[in-house]
Amino acid sequence: MLSLSALHQKQGKSQLVKMGLMSAVTVLVSIFALGQGSSSNLDMWTTTQTILRDIRAFVGLPDTLRACGYFDGVAWNAGQTCTNAEDLQSQIIWRLRLPRVLMAILGGVALATAGALMQGCLGNPLVSPLTLGVASGASLGAALAIIVGFSLTTVGSLAIAGNAFVFSLIVVFIIIQLGRYRSVSAESYILVGIAITFIAGAIVSTLTYFATDAQLSQLAHWSFGSLARPNMVVVALVATSTFTLFPTAMKWSWDLNALSMGGDDFAVSTGVDPSSIRRNILILSALLTSLIIAFTGMIGFVGLAAPHMSRILIGNDYRKLLPASAICGAFLMLVADTIGRTLFAPVVIPVGIMLAVIGGPVFMYLLLQSKGVR
Amino acid sequence: MNTLLSVENLSFSWPNREVLQNLNIEIKSNELVSILGVNGAGKTTLLKCVNRILKPSAGRVSLLAQDLSTMQTIDVAQRIAYVPQSVSTNFPMEVYDVVLLGRRPYISWFVRDEDREIVSESLEFLDLEDFAFRRYDRLSGGERQRVVLAKALAQKPNLYLLDEPTSDLDLKNQVVIMKKMRELVKDTDRNSSALIAIHDIDIAARFSDKILLMHDGGIMAYGTPEEVLTPENIAEVFGVEAEILNKSGSLRIMIHGALEKETR
Repeated sequence: MLSLSALHQKQGKSQLVKMGLMSAVTVLVSIFALGQGSSSNLDMWTTTQTILRDIRAFVGLPDTLRACGYFDGVAWNAGQTCTNAEDLQSQIIWRLRLPRVLMAILGGVALATAGALMQGCLGNPLVSPLTLGVASGASLGAALAIIVGFSLTTVGSLAIAGNAFVFSLIVVFIIIQLGRYRSVSAESYILVGIAITFIAGAIVSTLTYFATDAQLSQLAHWSFGSLARPNMVVVALVATSTFTLFPTAMKWSWDLNALSMGGDDFAVSTGVDPSSIRRNILILSALLTSLIIAFTGMIGFVGLAAPHMSRILIGNDYRKLLPASAICGAFLMLVADTIGRTLFAPVVIPVGIMLAVIGGPVFMYLLLQSKGVR
Repeated sequence: MNTLLSVENLSFSWPNREVLQNLNIEIKSNELVSILGVNGAGKTTLLKCVNRILKPSAGRVSLLAQDLSTMQTIDVAQRIAYVPQSVSTNFPMEVYDVVLLGRRPYISWFVRDEDREIVSESLEFLDLEDFAFRRYDRLSGGERQRVVLAKALAQKPNLYLLDEPTSDLDLKNQVVIMKKMRELVKDTDRNSSALIAIHDIDIAARFSDKILLMHDGGIMAYGTPEEVLTPENIAEVFGVEAEILNKSGSLRIMIHGALEKETR
């Protein structure tokens, strides 16, 4: 019989293999997703080839491709320098499909990580990235930009997203201020989050009351959550921030384990300062959330479902749960978005809706399944 | 024997209520000390002040001649392990990983072989080998308490603080926990002591080197079980009439009835 230590090591390895498989599947799904779309001559194989060719060309001959404006999200004049079919294909891939697929992955990673972090440090399985009111702040910012035309950011194309981001940062700032009270408990964070949600919701309702039909539909579209808006510049920005924030989350996984396993007193005796670590983790997850939601609109479900699915698959050890949630979130978003844009093509169903429609039943099934085993 | 823990003039108060008044306690190495007293006497508060979960309003707590208030949380966790009355969670981990948390004060991020070794030893010491890869929430109360104790053990502390570790347990598990604690404390290689808040006078008398009898946030008596557990002290603190039998060095406490009823 193996010793306990050896068994533990073996178990750790099998969990790593599980995560490896999950990420492999996610990569396959994303390649498949790249081949899906209204342009029927762009299948999976052509798409991959085109991407590889363009990357090679970009590295070798930057000027030619830059002239085609692949990485310039704002202004591109079709037909000026890029007229042949290959260039058109490249355009479709680099401007439409790739940013969309990458944004799905990033959104899933960031929101699922944020959800897992928040559930752990608040010790509450009902918490999702929307609980702290960050998304409501973003939604208020978007509503102000759309209806009143008021935006704190002046960049034309980013007026809505930028304003949403700034307003969600205001909520993050409120959380920081709240965290300065030493005695603030996990419940107080949740209750303040709910209060912020109500306040922001009331203001947004007031604004919509005076809005025109066009503005209303724009706001409704924003609140569905969509991956159509981000371009490669946004994707690069979000990717950089997400992957700088994620290692910090990983670094805190021991502290999260202590906090989620036994609460505050247990954490103290494990060498963790619960109030400061809780504040830091909430700020981190609020940043991750606002980063995504500002550009995509309301996407909430993945932040609740992906962590719970990973808990069922991997367990509650945050050292493994965080990467597993990230992968699971990316997978969910990709699948939901790909189905959403192919099911009734060329009509695209927003990812926020598809997530709930597809993810909801799967989530419920997994939950009931795992309870049954118990 | 040298002094392990010394508590000097310790006081603690909530905004409108004084809980601990001017406590002075000294605990030597390899000693098992039980705290007895009614609910609200300040037993838990004392433990939490020692472990810095609560900040004392006055006084000094030092461990091995080092002032605890000047130490980092993580340094305190290397020296003191706290076992709450019960640990419940929404996100249960597997037993092995719970015990591994006891190594958190020593680990930077990656688990070393040495840590696994210590965790395995702790599990074996508390007869938890068969539960090592079960989820914490699927264990019974007694098993859970042993898991949290194993986590404390893995911290390799000098001082164990246990807050009513046996109050949710059946008779056998109560004895098992106290026996294991005594075995731990008497292991001279470990150089550790235990301070245990407890309700059961018999169990306290049987397993403790010393008993700290608390009353209204102060110390009523502190000494060996024979010195502390007198009918007068028990009547004063618990309000019951008791008879103490000393059968060849082991105390038996017979409770005859509540005093109010007797006087009525």
